[in-house]
Amino acid sequence: MNTQNENSNKFFSRFLINYGQELVLLASIIILFVVVSQVNHRFLGGNNLNTIFAGNAYIGVAAIGMSILIITGNIDVSVGALIGVLATICGTLAVSGYPIWFAWTAPILVGIAVNSLVGIIVAYAGIPSIVVTLGMMSILRGGLISVTGGDWITDMPEGFFLAQQDFMGIRVPLLALIFFTILMFYIMSNTTWGRSLYAIGGNPEAARTSGIDLKKGVVIAFAVHGMFVGLSTILFATQLNIIQSTVPPNLELTVITASVIGGVSIMGGTGTVIGSSLATILFAAIGSSLIFIGVSAYWLRAIMGILILCTVLADMARRRRVVS
Amino acid sequence: MRMKSIFRHETILFLVVIVALVILSIQAEQFATIDNLLNQGRFLTEVSLVALIMTFVIVTGGIDLSVGSILGLSAIVLGVAWKKLGLPLPLAILVALSVGTLAGLFNGIIITRFKVPPLIATLATLALYRGLAEGISQARSIRGYPEWFFILGQGEFFGIPTQLWIVAFFTLLTGFILTYTTWGRATYAIGANETAARFSGIAVDKTKLFIYAASGFAASLAAIIFVSRVSTTRSDMGMGLELDAITAVVLGGTSIFGGKGTIVGTFFGLILIQILKNGLSLAGVKSDGTYIAIGLVLILTLLISNLFNRNSEG
Amino acid sequence: MKKYLLLISGLLFSSSLALAGDWTGGDDLPTNPLPCSGPAPAGEAKPYDGGSPTGAPNRKGKTITVVDVPKLVGIGYFSATTKGILDAAAEMGSMNAKTDGPSEANIDDQITLIDNYITQGVDGVLFAANDPGAIAPVLKKALSKGINVVGYDANSDPDARQWFVNQAEFNGIAKSLVDNMAREIGGSGGVAIVTSTFTTPNQARWIAEMEAYSNKCHPKLEWLETVEAQEDNILSFNQANTLINKYGSDLKGIYGMTSVATPASADAVTQANQCGNIAVVGLATPNAMKPYVNSGCVESVVLWNPVDLGYAAAYVLRAVADGDLKPGATSVNAGKLGELQVINGSEILLGAPYTFNKGNINDFDF
Repeated sequence: MNTQNENSNKFFSRFLINYGQELVLLASIIILFVVVSQVNHRFLGGNNLNTIFAGNAYIGVAAIGMSILIITGNIDVSVGALIGVLATICGTLAVSGYPIWFAWTAPILVGIAVNSLVGIIVAYAGIPSIVVTLGMMSILRGGLISVTGGDWITDMPEGFFLAQQDFMGIRVPLLALIFFTILMFYIMSNTTWGRSLYAIGGNPEAARTSGIDLKKGVVIAFAVHGMFVGLSTILFATQLNIIQSTVPPNLELTVITASVIGGVSIMGGTGTVIGSSLATILFAAIGSSLIFIGVSAYWLRAIMGILILCTVLADMARRRRVVS
Repeated sequence: MRMKSIFRHETILFLVVIVALVILSIQAEQFATIDNLLNQGRFLTEVSLVALIMTFVIVTGGIDLSVGSILGLSAIVLGVAWKKLGLPLPLAILVALSVGTLAGLFNGIIITRFKVPPLIATLATLALYRGLAEGISQARSIRGYPEWFFILGQGEFFGIPTQLWIVAFFTLLTGFILTYTTWGRATYAIGANETAARFSGIAVDKTKLFIYAASGFAASLAAIIFVSRVSTTRSDMGMGLELDAITAVVLGGTSIFGGKGTIVGTFFGLILIQILKNGLSLAGVKSDGTYIAIGLVLILTLLISNLFNRNSEG
Repeated sequence: MKKYLLLISGLLFSSSLALAGDWTGGDDLPTNPLPCSGPAPAGEAKPYDGGSPTGAPNRKGKTITVVDVPKLVGIGYFSATTKGILDAAAEMGSMNAKTDGPSEANIDDQITLIDNYITQGVDGVLFAANDPGAIAPVLKKALSKGINVVGYDANSDPDARQWFVNQAEFNGIAKSLVDNMAREIGGSGGVAIVTSTFTTPNQARWIAEMEAYSNKCHPKLEWLETVEAQEDNILSFNQANTLINKYGSDLKGIYGMTSVATPASADAVTQANQCGNIAVVGLATPNAMKPYVNSGCVESVVLWNPVDLGYAAAYVLRAVADGDLKPGATSVNAGKLGELQVINGSEILLGAPYTFNKGNINDFDF
């Protein structure tokens, strides 16, 4: 009896250590949903849940890629600019008469290509990723302005709007977010490649001695991130019936915040994509709930900041308790 | 060996600056005039003040993403304290500087006391401080500052823009501190190996607290100069400043992983970006082309510098 | 620590409740609502209050170099004004014009760019200000170097430029938006606003004027809420959706205050299958609104023609440089647009705002 208790305690604390941030986020989401729905029961209406989940899923999908990168000890600040460029490519192809599958595939391929190049510069030239991606952000942003001038892309063909579709009663963006989160969580915790990512970020020396090609590993992590940026772009570009060929403002900060608040350690080596997806949902839910509660719009961002800070501090408090 | 390779990056950067200066003065005759170059100093001021302290922050292995928001918050506090609360302007300036410093100190407390990684802590306060600026200002801009206040941002002393004196002073001061004082050595030691620094008796937390508070102070000083330069106060001031400052610091050769970097490097980084922005514009390149050029220069400069350093090491 | 945080958030929350009252997002400047029906009263003639360049050379008939610095580049609206400027320049044959602006609507980048062009030595500056006060010092510097300065779309302090081409007066736009909304939703019901940011001067002015006009002429329109959505397509869409979800059938109409917010709100209404139940009225360019107007979800889109706005601005600058447009003038010739009237001392009025609808929207391409 006693040992069983101890065992379950041990299991419990192990669970807390490994998935603590995910639990904090999940609990915050549930508390938020319960409290806000008491104030305004429409908050939990099906449409609003769709807005929160499906309307922000593209951020979550991009944050999956970002989390993979951050776990290997890298970062990408050009993600917003790249999504702007890829969405323009995606929409332009669709209206120029190329088949829809091609318009959907192009952002994924270009995303992989651009980020592989970044990965190669980072890994083989030894320039920190923040520097390369800061430069890349500047290049992509300037390039997009010179090429498009910010035109609206309209009249995409029927069937292009993937993000507006339902599948078994659930919006496609939410399904995509759930699917990719579970898939990457499984891959990262159960495959050799997945575990090598943690090793590259957590302890590169040990990773090297255990036979992992660090440079190749970093390039592949960037390529996979590029794939997720492409996937995110498809959701982003097909959500509305029009595409604006500009760089969405501050998107890189939103994506990075979702990843790091989701528990991905910025020093590399720890964290899961479940955390980043939950953090995406939490931020979207906070933004929506503040409108539902009727907080003065002028103070909205301040309260959002306080809530983000609380999440961070709660996680730190939890870690201490677990450690001590 | 290490000192040598640090030196190398600054040398290369210096050469790039010279090359850029020469090419740009050939391309645009108005570029290499005293008037124009001094004038560029005005535009350089705010980001310089922030980038100088950001060098310390990054050398300790940290980062401060909230500087742009602190700038916005301090600007709003300045305006509100002066116009709404009716404080005399010099006192309002003091209040704004204190609020900025406190905001930086608060970052430092979250980072040292609660052990929150700097990137996460300052991402959170980036949202918080900007939010406070918006809430306090209720989205109203504040104007009508007295004439003497504009000396700071629009006036000049001995033919040189006022704020350039301030930047020069802070460049020398920070350069001296980082290179020659125990504080500077502590900063490097923390960045190189925090645990080792702790064991060798360096007051790690105190140093970090001080650096983050200084970062807040620099941002609020930048806010006051900015308000004086544009003669108005808005809650969205300084948006995106953090990335400009970080770009200058990393272009200057400071390692984002900490332990390595110099004020001289940051100084050249700042100069290079500003002369590119100005010179390319004068040479007829539009701002979209300038963005592309700055991105390329950033990547290529570090690429070249790394190649040289690797050769010298190998 | 946490106690303090709770305390702060409590304070913020209570202060936010106490401040309810006015429409969120408007500014504090006095409003001047137009009469509910009938023609607008003639404004009092104001003396010229613009600035004047010092030591400007005689530019009459000479080819002049002009730079146009909009709020930002890379969005459809300012691409359209650029087109108008280039059209006018080509027509006149005596103006070399180019557009250069920041990639984000950022006061500092805009100031830096204008300063660069002053150094470069242009003859004229056209601008659309991100902030009326912040841009003033650099424009005054331009005037002091003998450069002709003309604004359009978003004004600066009057004495920092010579003339401002006003696309449509604030109260005129407000009337047009509110009247269209009232007509579409049958005169009464709850309405909400999606804007860019509360600090954008034009939007804040429009919202304040809309409040004044709505209270005066359509008191049964009930303002519910204003939300910010930056210039972000998807965020605007999500914010509009949140409003729809929050107010349910109490929400009868959404005002879109920017050319990004309006189409995104229309998309939100379309995807929520609320076309016909929730009206979307707003400022937007026709190209972005065609899908929604053609589908019948949106009845009316209010805007001036930005191509004409740029075109007029270029003609006004030419007239100023030639010395044909002097303080005290009552009208100016603007090429194919004919004679434009001077109002408010130093502003030139492009005309009344234009309402696009199903019948005419496909005739426009910008």
